[in-house]
Amino acid sequence: MRLLTHNFLQSNVRGTVDGYPLKIEGTNIVVENSSMDSNLVRKVLPKLNYPALVAAINDIRNEEGEEDNNNNISESVLKALHFFLFDVHVIEGCLICPGTDRRFPIKDGIPNMILHEDEV
Amino acid sequence: MSRPELTGHASNFYNEREARKYNSSSRMINVQREITLRAIELLLLPPDEASLVLDIGCGSGLSGEVLEEHGHVWVGCDVSRDMLQVAHERMEKSYKMKGDDDKTEAEIARMKYDDDDDSDDDDNNVCSTGDLMHHDMGTGLPFRPATFDACVSISALQWLCYSNSSAQIPKRRLIRFFSSLYSILKKSARAAVLISECATAVGFGGGIVVDYPNSAKAKKHYLVLSCDRVGGRGQVPGMTAAGAVADQKQSQVQVGKQRQEKDGRKARPIRKKKGVKTKEWIVHKKETQRKKGKEVRPDTKYTARRRPRKF
Repeated sequence: MRLLTHNFLQSNVRGTVDGYPLKIEGTNIVVENSSMDSNLVRKVLPKLNYPALVAAINDIRNEEGEEDNNNNISESVLKALHFFLFDVHVIEGCLICPGTDRRFPIKDGIPNMILHEDEV
Repeated sequence: MSRPELTGHASNFYNEREARKYNSSSRMINVQREITLRAIELLLLPPDEASLVLDIGCGSGLSGEVLEEHGHVWVGCDVSRDMLQVAHERMEKSYKMKGDDDKTEAEIARMKYDDDDDSDDDDNNVCSTGDLMHHDMGTGLPFRPATFDACVSISALQWLCYSNSSAQIPKRRLIRFFSSLYSILKKSARAAVLISECATAVGFGGGIVVDYPNSAKAKKHYLVLSCDRVGGRGQVPGMTAAGAVADQKQSQVQVGKQRQEKDGRKARPIRKKKGVKTKEWIVHKKETQRKKGKEVRPDTKYTARRRPRKF
């Protein structure tokens, strides 16, 4: 699962007021290089939730990352964003709904978001 | 088996065996490809630009592969873990293959020119642009509002029309699905999926496009939904294929009626099982029980005779 996907994922378990962002508990994280496409990153940019991305990166690193809001986006920033959005894969771990603490396990890079009929 | 939807849950039908079969059938691959290509055409995505596409019911990632070829980034979700596993393996394989290819290319490039390493790292290899997720679309899509540029769903939505347990109410599941789909799509995004009363109830505009309406086999129904309610981009692209007549109806079709249309024939009425509790059946049952060595009352003239009516 890429962090890009994580940035869009939201939990809709019954009883959550705000199921976003999901907390990541990664046990196996892999970096796969992919070709950089700055146009693609630019396109994705307006849809991103920046605080959620920072939180996700922090979850993965388990340390505080520097928080900076750059308005003028340079190539290097795009590169860094691309690395985090497209190259970092969470292979094994857990997603945790912030509202209800419902855990969604990740296996083989595929998060299991299945909800039972009574959970919706 | 003509209608696998009736046999149970999708994740039960698409088990490991079925998933492998699905993925190795060249006919299936071709059909999926063709439909996906047409769906992409119907989506009216801006050309030469990568879009973020949601693939609902991605299965083994056949449609995702086509999306990838068109340069789109996709997120697939499916209810069958085995199908996803196949998709995952395939993506992994193509990643490794492409990775090796590019490595050798990069090495050759390095041998030829003494370029800086940075550029090499940049276009080192092409990884699959897809991402997978295990999810049941009937419980609503778990995404933030207004994230996806488009959505495709190839032969998956019919599963929503059937309930596999008493807790699953098809209508509710359809509403849940379409309302979440409406919210996660960007304004002026399009969804090409195959059903429709519920869709208009939650605010989609659009209609059904029928390709090859006169052919029983090649006939395909596309439900094209667009998020702009005014229907600005109303025209249907590509009446190019020979014999393809696109016929756009306004979506006031009921779900039940639609099912009939999709088959191209009327749905069969549910028939009562014949021959239950007749004399023949009872005698036969007693005989088999006797053979099993069970204690059974002897056959008399009263066997299977109807009781007199009570006052």
